[in-house]
Amino acid sequence: MAGKMRKAADFTPAMAQKKRKAADLTKDRSKSNKKPNKLNKTLGGGGGSDDKRKRKTGPRLPAPLRKVLGGTKRSTDSLNDSDENISSDEANDFYEYEEPLPQEESGKNRRFDIVKNFLLDPSDPVEEDENVSSEDDDDKDDYDGVSKIEKSHGWRGSSEQHGDEVEDDERHLRMLQTVSGMPSEAFEGKKKKKKNLVISEAYPESEFNPSRDVLNGNGQISIEELIEPLQGKPGYSEIRKLIHEDKNSTSIQAPLPRVEREMLERKAVYEQSKKDITKWEPLVKMNREAPSLFFDEDTNLGFSTVGAIASGFEPRTEFEKKMAILVNDDKVKEAHNEDGSKLLELNKISAEEYLEDRNHIARMRSLLFRHEMKSKRIKKIKSKTYHRLLKKDRLKSASAEMLMDPEAAKEEARKQEFKRAEERMTLKHKNSSKWAKRILQRGLDAQDEGTRAAINEQLHQHALLTRKMNTMKDSSSSSGSDDSDEDDVDENSAGSDPDAASKLFAKAKEKTLKVLQEDDEVPTSGVLSLPFMVRGLKKRKEEAVEEAKLALQEYESSLKDLEDTGGEENAKVGITSGRMVFGAPKRDVPKPKPSNKMKTDNYYRNSDSEDDLDENIDVGNEMRNDLQKDVNVDSGFLNEDADVHRDSVFKSFDDVVRDPGPKTSYDVAIFASGTWKKMKKGKRVDANIKKSTVVGKPVLQNQEELAEESDTDSEGQMVDGILSAGSKPLYELPSQEELVRLAFAGDNVEDDFEKVKQEILNEEIPEPEKPNLLPGWGQWTSVQRKKGLPSWMLEEHEIAKRKREEALEKRKDAHLKHVIISEKLDKKAEKLHTKTLPYPFTSKEVFEQSIRVPVGPEFNPSTSVGAMNQPDVVKKSGIIIKPIKFEEVNAHEKTEEHKGQKRSGNNQKTNKRKGAGGKRTGVRPLVVKS
Amino acid sequence: MKVKVISRSADEFTRERSQDLQRVYHNYDPNLRPQEKAVEYVRALNAAKLEKIFARPFIGAMDGHIDAVSCMAKNPNYLKGLFSGSMDGDIRLWDIASRRTVCRYPGHQGAVRGLTVSTDGQVLVSCGVDSTVRLWNVPAATLTNSDDSSDNSVEPLATYVWKNAFWAVDHQWDGDLFATAGGQVDIWNPNRSQPVNSFQWGTDTVISVKFNPGEPNVLATSASDRSIVLYDLRMSSPARKVIMRTRTNAISWNPMEPMNFTAANEDCNCYSYDARKLEEAKCVHMGHESAVMDIDYSPTGREFVTGSYDRTIRIFQYNGGRSREIYHTKRMQRVFCVKFTCDASYVISGSDDTNLRLWKAKASEQLGVLHPRERRKHEYHEAVKNRYKHLPEVKRIVRHRHLPRPIYKAAALRRTMIDAEKRKAERRKAHSAPGSIVTVPVRKRRIIKEVE
Repeated sequence: MAGKMRKAADFTPAMAQKKRKAADLTKDRSKSNKKPNKLNKTLGGGGGSDDKRKRKTGPRLPAPLRKVLGGTKRSTDSLNDSDENISSDEANDFYEYEEPLPQEESGKNRRFDIVKNFLLDPSDPVEEDENVSSEDDDDKDDYDGVSKIEKSHGWRGSSEQHGDEVEDDERHLRMLQTVSGMPSEAFEGKKKKKKNLVISEAYPESEFNPSRDVLNGNGQISIEELIEPLQGKPGYSEIRKLIHEDKNSTSIQAPLPRVEREMLERKAVYEQSKKDITKWEPLVKMNREAPSLFFDEDTNLGFSTVGAIASGFEPRTEFEKKMAILVNDDKVKEAHNEDGSKLLELNKISAEEYLEDRNHIARMRSLLFRHEMKSKRIKKIKSKTYHRLLKKDRLKSASAEMLMDPEAAKEEARKQEFKRAEERMTLKHKNSSKWAKRILQRGLDAQDEGTRAAINEQLHQHALLTRKMNTMKDSSSSSGSDDSDEDDVDENSAGSDPDAASKLFAKAKEKTLKVLQEDDEVPTSGVLSLPFMVRGLKKRKEEAVEEAKLALQEYESSLKDLEDTGGEENAKVGITSGRMVFGAPKRDVPKPKPSNKMKTDNYYRNSDSEDDLDENIDVGNEMRNDLQKDVNVDSGFLNEDADVHRDSVFKSFDDVVRDPGPKTSYDVAIFASGTWKKMKKGKRVDANIKKSTVVGKPVLQNQEELAEESDTDSEGQMVDGILSAGSKPLYELPSQEELVRLAFAGDNVEDDFEKVKQEILNEEIPEPEKPNLLPGWGQWTSVQRKKGLPSWMLEEHEIAKRKREEALEKRKDAHLKHVIISEKLDKKAEKLHTKTLPYPFTSKEVFEQSIRVPVGPEFNPSTSVGAMNQPDVVKKSGIIIKPIKFEEVNAHEKTEEHKGQKRSGNNQKTNKRKGAGGKRTGVRPLVVKS
Repeated sequence: MKVKVISRSADEFTRERSQDLQRVYHNYDPNLRPQEKAVEYVRALNAAKLEKIFARPFIGAMDGHIDAVSCMAKNPNYLKGLFSGSMDGDIRLWDIASRRTVCRYPGHQGAVRGLTVSTDGQVLVSCGVDSTVRLWNVPAATLTNSDDSSDNSVEPLATYVWKNAFWAVDHQWDGDLFATAGGQVDIWNPNRSQPVNSFQWGTDTVISVKFNPGEPNVLATSASDRSIVLYDLRMSSPARKVIMRTRTNAISWNPMEPMNFTAANEDCNCYSYDARKLEEAKCVHMGHESAVMDIDYSPTGREFVTGSYDRTIRIFQYNGGRSREIYHTKRMQRVFCVKFTCDASYVISGSDDTNLRLWKAKASEQLGVLHPRERRKHEYHEAVKNRYKHLPEVKRIVRHRHLPRPIYKAAALRRTMIDAEKRKAERRKAHSAPGSIVTVPVRKRRIIKEVE
């Protein structure tokens, strides 16, 4: 045990040191001083009183010295931290526990008997064995034990023995205690009994009376025996004490088994670390209770300014390095430093130059703007023809440019060539596509015009693209000639002389004739010789011929016109150009008939329907002219309908005055009927039908109506008059009861209420449906009819009925006759209720209170909204949050903090800082607390 | 006649920029707005729905390992740095922002089982089944280390060979010691080739070890004998052991509450303990459908993330019995390790499918710089949602999560089993003599005993 103790002593200073290193908290210092004490205390708890006894062992100062030192040392030691002192301190501490032990003193008187008797009993070897095995004492101890037996009444030896005995007992006691969980007092009696069993020897043991062991030869003379004769002499007691102590010091107990020892150690360690960890409790508690935690303070982002970042820049890539070399070049720097201002001076420009520059820029800008506007305007034009022409123009100009510019021409040629090559390679346009194949498969005849045209177009494209270069050249030249022809035509048309026009017409005629004559050849080979192609061509040719013929006729007629009417020609041409125009001439002066007829002729050749339409319109024109006035008046009348009808009446009368005819009657009819809708209808439909026959009737009707109204009124009055007049003479005063009965004759209030209540009850707790059988379902109909409803159905119905009755009984208004208490659940309101009280709330009121005040920005001033909506954890992404650091917290400060927060809800920023100070900021604690 | 005129100075009401808000005076009299509660309820409902709509937690996967990712470590000093070790002995340093490998540490012969970084972020410690502990130098984090230097490989600073295979390693917070777990718990000083201290309590393999960040000298381990052991380095001794019915796979201390730690257990649950009272768990966090493989606390201490063998990641409140969030993807396999980033806004998981995955800790959080108005709006939404979260509609929307079918089915099955057990226990109790059967609370049920 001493060894162990020494170990403990060794380990405490080391521990203290470590501890000091680990936690530099002053608070811990005192703790570390107390630690060994505590440790031993707990050890003592495990080892019992034998530990205490053992603690006396080990090298130590003589008792008197120790006693002297005892008072002073302890006080100094508690303050002293040096390692050596701790061990001695320990010793002192042990003594502190030794001294007050009353057991030794109290047990002394009894020990004589017990030990002596016990020892003399040789028939009890168990005790001896136990002694040896359990104690593992060294030889010396054993020997002592033996020598004690030799002694007759040596109380010293006996005391020793008794010590062992007590030890054993106590261990046993402890064991019992742990096993049974009962207090040690319960086992006290047993021990005493045992002690009483010991038998004393006949005569005292002494040098003259050697014990049996001594006689046997294995006894030895002990110091106690030697100083026995000195008893009664003056210094005897001191000597005895000294010897006693000396002997005690030698009785070292063997260490505990490892398992047990480690367990004790662990226990101690756990207690200690538990205590240490507990220091965090107030801090953690405060954090948990805080409304929100702040982790967004102390944001050290490394760089604060752009300059700081730039200064830390190091060139890495080659480019950057080159740049760095240039920038950091001494010469450049020098030049910059010296000539910086000069360079700027050199940059000076004269006023004229500046003006010129500015003007140039302005011009360019205006040009750009104009161009933009122009393109916008052009883009806005919707005419397709215009755009077509524009496109043509552009193409022409492009081709011209191509001609002018060999580069562009080459480019164009290359493009063309590429296209051609592509076509030759892919044969994209040669009926090889899925679409074309399908069409061919179905037969071209089955297709409609459009499809056929598309196919033709495609083939044409193919032919064009696969034609050889020289042919291409030919075509281009021919097209060129065409172009020139067209140009000629344009020029001709541009000249608006009638002569030129006639010339032009003649030319056109010539050309068409040529076409008509020419188109006789039929290709004999190639694609065009295919039957369908031939057919197609034929058709086309026919069409073309027809067109040409038409054109010819037109030309002829126009030529004739030219000759006939010189002046009117222009206008006429304008008329033929399109349908859109025809309204205008009609609006103008009516045309002479011959021209009109001629027009119709022209139209006849083109298409019938159009002409018909025109004819109709022309025909109708006359009628319209007649009706025009009428229509105008009508519209005006309609507009004013919405106003008071008297106006319209006046108007209609005006009309009547203006031109008496069918119209007047019609207007009157409308007014008289009184419904404006009808009037409209009538206007449309009956315009021609209604005549003066209607005139008289409605007016009459109206009058009749008026008369009727007045009649009814007067009748009512009269009736009243009759009633009052008739009842007065017959009246008798009825009794009060009768009066009441009469007053409430109609309404049966109570019954009504009951009915209403019954209805409400039925609504809230509906009556169960009557069981009904579907004939033939589940059983044959005959069987059903015979057996009636199955029992389970009846039973169910019964149960449902009973339940309903019970529910009715349970209602709050079940026994209140004149009250209805609705227990209907509003499903919509149900959504706004919780089924149970939510967890952290202790009562309904608290919960309702918690959601009473709104938190939104509309309902609270902006100064307090922030505090109300603060999240539980305020953090910023990108900031490392460190683990908690210990700081002292006291409750007083905390409450203050809380108050402060509540009050300073307005100023969020200060609030935050304050809160952070009070609450445990897990972030690096910059907060310095005094 | 008296005419009342509202007078407002033009100076106050003129906006400086067109983006500025019009100044509005508002009467906050509640009598003028009787519908405020209804309005807020609807807003809460909408906020809950919006949260669902914007919930896009998955940010991206980090691909590179060729075997399952077995362990991860975050650099406590550098936000973007993350280390991962895989079963084939490969260790990689990732740049989270660019999601690319910055550097590799070849050397381990077998699986890497533990990784940890010193508090200053200078030294990386790795250990594995090849019975070696290796120390590596972490390249200094510069502003420009995201350029393509993926085959940067480094030689270890030191390699210590020891007697047994290692299962885990953890570094002391603000100290220079680190602890390894394997056949026993060894405490190492990085400058010595032998452990400075070894603890063995029981004979079974220790599978995880974690230092307490608040109390740097306290550490907890879990062993394959289903025990959790606390150690105190100041007295260089184990302190207390608690034995549960199933094994604890990982432990994480609450960085803001040094007395509390949470253990990820094989029985699908996590158990939060107070280190001072180990006879019962403070809270049981349920939800996973298979063994919980790893756990890591958020640096705020308010929530923690768990990765499970059921291929999901869950985020729990520190005091919540059910998970607040559950993450899964079609391709993510068994999750072996999870970590919260040091700024508490991201979660990283490493799984069997050789990928690391980066998730948002708050699924619907808006990333990037927020305007103050945006932030305020989010805060308001959160506050209003929080206020009405108990009402059935809001609750339903907030709680609803879409789960993969196997997990959904497993959960249903588990629920029925638990219900059946509960029913049986209730019946037993009802049919036996009163007082003869004591119902053990869930917090104690899985604990066998506490060993001194």
